[in-house]
Amino acid sequence: MAGIRIENVRKSYGAVTVLRDFNLDIADGEFVVFVGPSGCGKSTMLKILAGLEEASGGRVLIGERDVTDLAPGDRDIAMVFQNYALYPHLTVARNMGFGLKMRGMDRGEIDRRVSEAAKILAVDHLLDRRPKELSGGQRQRVALGRAIVREPQAFLMDEPLSNLDAKLRVHMRAEISALHKRLGVTTIYVTHDQIEAMTMADRIVIMRDGEIQQIADPDTMFARPENLFVAGFIGSPGMNFLLGNVTADERGARVSLFGQDVCLPVPLAAVPGIAGRPVILGLRPEHIGPAHGPVSFAVRPRLVESLGSEKYIYVDLPHENRGAPADAKGADDERRGDALIARLVDAGAVATGEPITLSFDPARLHVFDAETHRAIR
Amino acid sequence: MKLRSSRIALYLGVAATCAVLLFPIYWLLVTAISPPADLRSLPPRFWPDVPQWQVFSRIAEERPMLLWLTNSTLAALGSVALSMTVSVFAGYALSRFRVRGGQSLGLFILTAKMLPATLLVIPLFGIFRSVGLIGSLWSVVLAHATLIVPFTTWMLKGYFDTIPRELEQAAMVDGCSPLGALFRVILPVATPGLAATALYGFVLSWSDYAYARTFLTNAQQSWTANLGITTMKGEYVTDWNEISAAAVFVALPILVIYLFLERYLVGGLTAGAEK
Ligand SMILES: Nc1ncnc2c1ncn2[C@@H]1O[C@H](COP(=O)(O)OP(=O)(O)OP(=O)(O)O)[C@@H](O)[C@H]1O
Ligand SMILES: [Mg+2]
Repeated sequence: MAGIRIENVRKSYGAVTVLRDFNLDIADGEFVVFVGPSGCGKSTMLKILAGLEEASGGRVLIGERDVTDLAPGDRDIAMVFQNYALYPHLTVARNMGFGLKMRGMDRGEIDRRVSEAAKILAVDHLLDRRPKELSGGQRQRVALGRAIVREPQAFLMDEPLSNLDAKLRVHMRAEISALHKRLGVTTIYVTHDQIEAMTMADRIVIMRDGEIQQIADPDTMFARPENLFVAGFIGSPGMNFLLGNVTADERGARVSLFGQDVCLPVPLAAVPGIAGRPVILGLRPEHIGPAHGPVSFAVRPRLVESLGSEKYIYVDLPHENRGAPADAKGADDERRGDALIARLVDAGAVATGEPITLSFDPARLHVFDAETHRAIR
Repeated sequence: MKLRSSRIALYLGVAATCAVLLFPIYWLLVTAISPPADLRSLPPRFWPDVPQWQVFSRIAEERPMLLWLTNSTLAALGSVALSMTVSVFAGYALSRFRVRGGQSLGLFILTAKMLPATLLVIPLFGIFRSVGLIGSLWSVVLAHATLIVPFTTWMLKGYFDTIPRELEQAAMVDGCSPLGALFRVILPVATPGLAATALYGFVLSWSDYAYARTFLTNAQQSWTANLGITTMKGEYVTDWNEISAAAVFVALPILVIYLFLERYLVGGLTAGAEK
C-alpha cells in the first residue's frame, strides 16, 4: 500500500487538451473519487495513473517511486474496468489468478489467494465457470477479485458499477466501501454519479473540462462549494440559483430576492466594490422550509412532486431573480432558469396552484461572483 | 399462427438458397458417376440407373491424384501460414495503433486485393525466374500469399476491432507486455476469427489456377490439383467422368475442413468479456 502523488500532469491529443495541470496528493489508504460530467478527463487521468496512456507532461509517483515511465505491469496497481474486461477464454479462477501467474507466483500460492478472494466476494462456487456464464453482478465481483488477489499498492476503478441495475449498484457500492475498509488499499474511483461520490469517498475530486474544480471531503463539498459548477454538481435536486444585484449600506451587502431585501452572509470587506454588481445566489432545496422563517415569501407552486417521504415543490422565480447561467445546471436534473425547487419533508398538504408560504435563512445562501463564478465568502 | 407461417417462409428461403448453392456440387457428382451416354441425354437424368462408382478408384490409380492433392495442400498450408503470420500483426496494428498515415496504409493494402491476379502474374514470373523459383512449389506459396495477405489482414483487423481494448489493457495491468497481451489474451479470444480467416486463405490458395499454370507447368512433380485436372482435358476426347471425379476429390478436402472447423467458425467466444 502506498500514497499516490500526481504532479502537473497534462494530456493532449493533438490540438485537443484533455487534462491541464492536474495536481493531487493521495494519502496511503485513502479512497478518492474522481467525479465530473462525461468527457471531463476522468478515465484519461486513471489510464495515465495505470500507465495505459502516456501523459504529455508531469509526473506520477506511487509510494516514493516515480512510475511515470514504467509499464502498467511494473506499477503494482490493479484496475477494475467499466465493462469488467474479464478474459473470456479463461475460467473465473484463472481470470483471478492471471496477474499472479504473470508475476511468476507458484501454483499453490495462486490457488490459496484466489480461493481466499473468492470467499470474500462470495464467488467461490463459480471458480470453474467462464465469464459468459455469469450474471452482471457476478462478473463485477470477479473483476474485483482479480484486483484484490494481486494485493497491489492501489486500486484504480473506472465506473465499475455503471453497468449494473440500480438496486445492485447500491448493494455493490456498500460492498466496495466495506472491502476498502477491510483491505485499506489506496483506491481511486471514477464515476459520474455524484451520489456514489458522496457516499463512498474520503475525498472527492470534481473535474470539468480537464480541470480540477475542487478537492474536498463530501461534507465540505456540499457545505462550501468553491464555485458555481461544484455547487450545482453536488446535491440532488441541485442547488437553486438566483440572480441578484448587490446594494451596499452600513448594515452590509444586500440583494432583493422574491421582492424582499435580504442581507447576504458575506462581510462587505470580503469583496470591495461589490456594490452595484450582479451576483448569483445559491440556495439548496433542502434549506427551504415550509411556514414562516427569517425570509418568508408566499407563492403558488407550479408543480408538486411527491416522493412519499418528501415533496419537491417547483416555484416560479420572480423575473428580477432569473437568468443564472446555464452552466450552473445540476448534474442530474434538467434545471430551468425560471424555477426554484424546494424539498420539503413532512410538509403536510401542498397542491399545485394553492398558495403556500415558504421561507429560508439568508445565512444558508451561497454567494457567487456572476462573472468568475467563484464563491464569495 | 403468424409466427409459424413466417417461420415456414424462412425455411423455404433457406432451402431454396441451399438448392441453388448445392446443385453444381450435386451435378458434379452425377456427372462423375453417370455412364457417358447419359451425359448428353435430354431431358437430363438426375441420377444414373447404374452409378459408375469405379471411376474414383480408376483415376486414383491412373492419375497422380495423391501427388496433386498433396501439392495443393502444401501450397495452401504454406501460403496460409505465411499470410497469417504477417496479417495477425498487420491487422492488429491497423486495429489498435493510431499512427500517422495508418489509415491510408490500410487502404493501400485494400487496393492491392482489387488488382486481378493476372496482372501480377507477369512481374511475379520475372521475379521468381531471377531467383530460380519457377517450377518450385515455393513460387505458388509466395504468390498465393500476395493474394491472401490483403484479405486476411482486413478480416483480422475487423475481428480485432470487435474485441474491447480493455482486454489487453487489463492484461497489461496484470503484467503482460503488449506482445504478451496479444499472444496470451487477444489471439486466444480471436480464435474463431483466426480460424475463419485461415480457412478463407486456404480456399483462396486451393482454388488458384492462374499462378500454378504460369509457374509450374513445366514441373509435373509440382502440379497442384487444379493444374493437374486441366491436363486431363484431351485434345480430341475428354473423359468427363474422370474430370468430374477428380473435381470431387479436389472439393472434398474443403468440405472436410469446414466440418472440422465449424465449431470455431460459429464463434461467440467473446461473449462475456463485457457487461
Ligand atoms: N484517443 C483519443 N483521441 C482524442 N481525444 C480523446 C481520445 N481519448 C479520449 N479523448 C477525449 O478526451 C476527453 C476525455 O475523455 P475521458 O474518457 O477521460 O472522459 P471521461 O471523463 O472518462 O468521460 P466518461 O464519463 O464519459 O467516461 C473526451 O473529450 C474525449 O473525447
Ligand atoms: Mg470514462
